[in-house]
Amino acid sequence: MLIEGSNVEIETSPVAEAEVLDQLTQPWQVMILNDPVNLMSFVTLVLRRIFGYSEEKATELMLKVHFEGSAIVWTGEREKAELYVQQLQTHQLYAVMEPID
Amino acid sequence: MELINNDDSTWTLFKVSELEHLMLIRFPESADSTGCEEASSRLFPSPIAPGSDLDKEKKSSADSDWKEYIEPELRVEFRDSLKIVADDLGKAKMTKDEEVNYYEFNIPTAHADHWCSALNQARLVIHYRYNLPDEDGVLDMDPNPEKWMATLQSEIYGMLMEFLIKKVLWVA
Repeated sequence: MLIEGSNVEIETSPVAEAEVLDQLTQPWQVMILNDPVNLMSFVTLVLRRIFGYSEEKATELMLKVHFEGSAIVWTGEREKAELYVQQLQTHQLYAVMEPID
Repeated sequence: MELINNDDSTWTLFKVSELEHLMLIRFPESADSTGCEEASSRLFPSPIAPGSDLDKEKKSSADSDWKEYIEPELRVEFRDSLKIVADDLGKAKMTKDEEVNYYEFNIPTAHADHWCSALNQARLVIHYRYNLPDEDGVLDMDPNPEKWMATLQSEIYGMLMEFLIKKVLWVA
């Protein structure tokens, strides 16, 4: 495998290469899990602020969390998912992420 | 307890009764999750969804990275909010209205997020420490006075958070 932007070539097995490529391209989803403490208005506010969602969309997601126990609030690359989970946890929301198959 | 806008980037929480004031000044110890594993796990959860298909090794690596790099940042943010709110509360003034003592204090608009964070931390810890019921707005008349007090405290914090969210943060 040739490292981009250089002449350095490293030996990797096709299996390892495929795994790295998988990790880089595999999408992740950010979820909020229901908890009995966070106020509905607070969850809606945080979703509006962090993702820039409209009041309608933020409310819809908050209600999904409340009634169904969880909601996927964002999907995309892992690094950004980690950032969103951190921001949500900073507001004490029960935020987690997982890779999508 | 009422919240009014002073038009100078501050809000005043006034007509705070002695009981409400007592509940408010208890918040730093209430927000401390020491000795309550459930509350600590909830304040600092794993970033990986429970039941995720991620293999054990990758999950364990993600968890330990999170503990090493992100959790300390969360702890600092939470602690900073508690300190800012404690400072605001420390400036409370006592007033008298028809022989009844009230308290009032200012909340700078810029501190509203810290107030929500501090009150929410305390509500989360109280909930798990006293195993409060999950239903919304139920003031459980528990015979255990400490648990009843904790419920009342959590309700007052929730009410103040609603004020701040609707009046200050929603429009900001």
